[in-house]
Amino acid sequence: MESSIHFQDASIFQSDNLILSDVNLDVKKGEFIYLIGKVGSGKTSLIKTINAELPLNEGTATVAGFHLEKIKSKQVPKLRRKLGIVFQDFQLLIDRTVFENLQFVLKATGWKSKTDISSRINEVLEKVELNFKGYKMPHQLSGGEQQRVVIARALLNDPEIILADEPTGNLDSETSDGIMKILHEISANGRAVVMATHNLSLVKKYQARTLKCEKGKLTEIKQTSEIDFTNLY
Amino acid sequence: MARKEQTNTRRRLRSAYITSTISISLVLFMLGLIGLLLLNTKRLSDYVKENIGFTIFLNDDVKEADILHLQKTLDAKHYVKETKYITKEQAAIDFQEELGEDFIEVLEFNPLTPSIDVKLYAEYANTDSISKIEVEFQKFAQIKEVAYQESLIHLVNENIRKISLVILIFSGLLFLIAVALVNNTIRLSIYSKRFLIRTMQLVGANNGFIRKPFLYKSLILGSLGAFFAILILSGLIFTAQKNFSEIVSFKDYKLLTFLFLLIFIIGIVINWISTYTAVSKYLNIKTDQLYN
Repeated sequence: MESSIHFQDASIFQSDNLILSDVNLDVKKGEFIYLIGKVGSGKTSLIKTINAELPLNEGTATVAGFHLEKIKSKQVPKLRRKLGIVFQDFQLLIDRTVFENLQFVLKATGWKSKTDISSRINEVLEKVELNFKGYKMPHQLSGGEQQRVVIARALLNDPEIILADEPTGNLDSETSDGIMKILHEISANGRAVVMATHNLSLVKKYQARTLKCEKGKLTEIKQTSEIDFTNLY
Repeated sequence: MARKEQTNTRRRLRSAYITSTISISLVLFMLGLIGLLLLNTKRLSDYVKENIGFTIFLNDDVKEADILHLQKTLDAKHYVKETKYITKEQAAIDFQEELGEDFIEVLEFNPLTPSIDVKLYAEYANTDSISKIEVEFQKFAQIKEVAYQESLIHLVNENIRKISLVILIFSGLLFLIAVALVNNTIRLSIYSKRFLIRTMQLVGANNGFIRKPFLYKSLILGSLGAFFAILILSGLIFTAQKNFSEIVSFKDYKLLTFLFLLIFIIGIVINWISTYTAVSKYLNIKTDQLYN
């Protein structure tokens, strides 16, 4: 199966600090993977490298067909249009409604027709069960609803990969369950999902391939039983 | 409820824009004042110079007709702005008023001579030109003496030169302050949106698309700011013309239109450049630096 993300002997840096070395990672289309590890172990840095927020200075990496080691700044928006990013702190545009948040993304990625924009927004809002909340401002929504808007935003351009950095970090367990179901559904529909998390019960409940960031290395965990859950914080 | 909060958010945004517009208007108004000051500096110095002048004392025996003929001849000179003939009798009245007592009664005759007050155009109101004019005037048989205060004329010219230089430096400084103030207002307003800019980047918007609405708003703010500044300036000019028409005169409507146009262009250009650089800054810095 074709790879959506492929890292070869890569090193992940945050400014001049080496965070992870010898990163070899292959994520196939439609695959769901967890990134686990202690705070500061490099999960977010790896995600930021995948979306080209951090430059890749050592090794090679291909994400949605873009070579990160030689990507130019003009190509970065094009790469990000093939990614859907879900953040722990939502990062919605707080000065506009849910509908306008989604409209911004579509307009930014070249959509012109008002009818097409409207119908696409309704489609993704329906997927996350927020069809009647388009007129609301982000601060008028609950945390779970805001996260679902972020997921809807991530889905707008039918991305190849979804990057989720602690998407349930600010949510209660019931709401987190709902978000996990949506993310797994997205993965089942053929998109690769990379999710960084601390939520052990979710990793246990929704089992998938798990990678651990530890002592500057990225290692694969074959079975959930191998995870030392007590040592993740 | 939701609609109400949405309206409140929009109202808050509108109030932020109003504050920015007022700041920009005031700064542009200050720039306009500098422009008016510069435009009027020459006029003010000309006004002062053209009020200095000198006096030609005439021989006692010159006939009135000859004096009037001489006055006409002087009026025809290209450097003479205006002349005023003062008769022997008028001179006596003026002198009596100055002295406060009737000196003719004491002397039993009027010792004063008729005279002509001459006022020159500003460009000739300096000691060099006046010396040459004095030599020329002394060729007239009717003229007894040409009197002027050389030191006063020198002092006036020297002071005007100094004041002009100070005004020019002051204007330059005010211009720099105005640019810095507008720039600061815009930078603060963009700074408050730095995380929005970063989110826009992360959802795939390119730099041009992110900049566009900021630049569009900067054009509107610049235009509105310039419009209000011009409005206040026009009011000020109208009031000044009405109350100080001697000193302040803006009859040159072409020059005024040029000044207003300049304010408009400066308003837009400063806003646009400040917005462009401020947005570019946040488009190009690393996420970690956004928190500094």
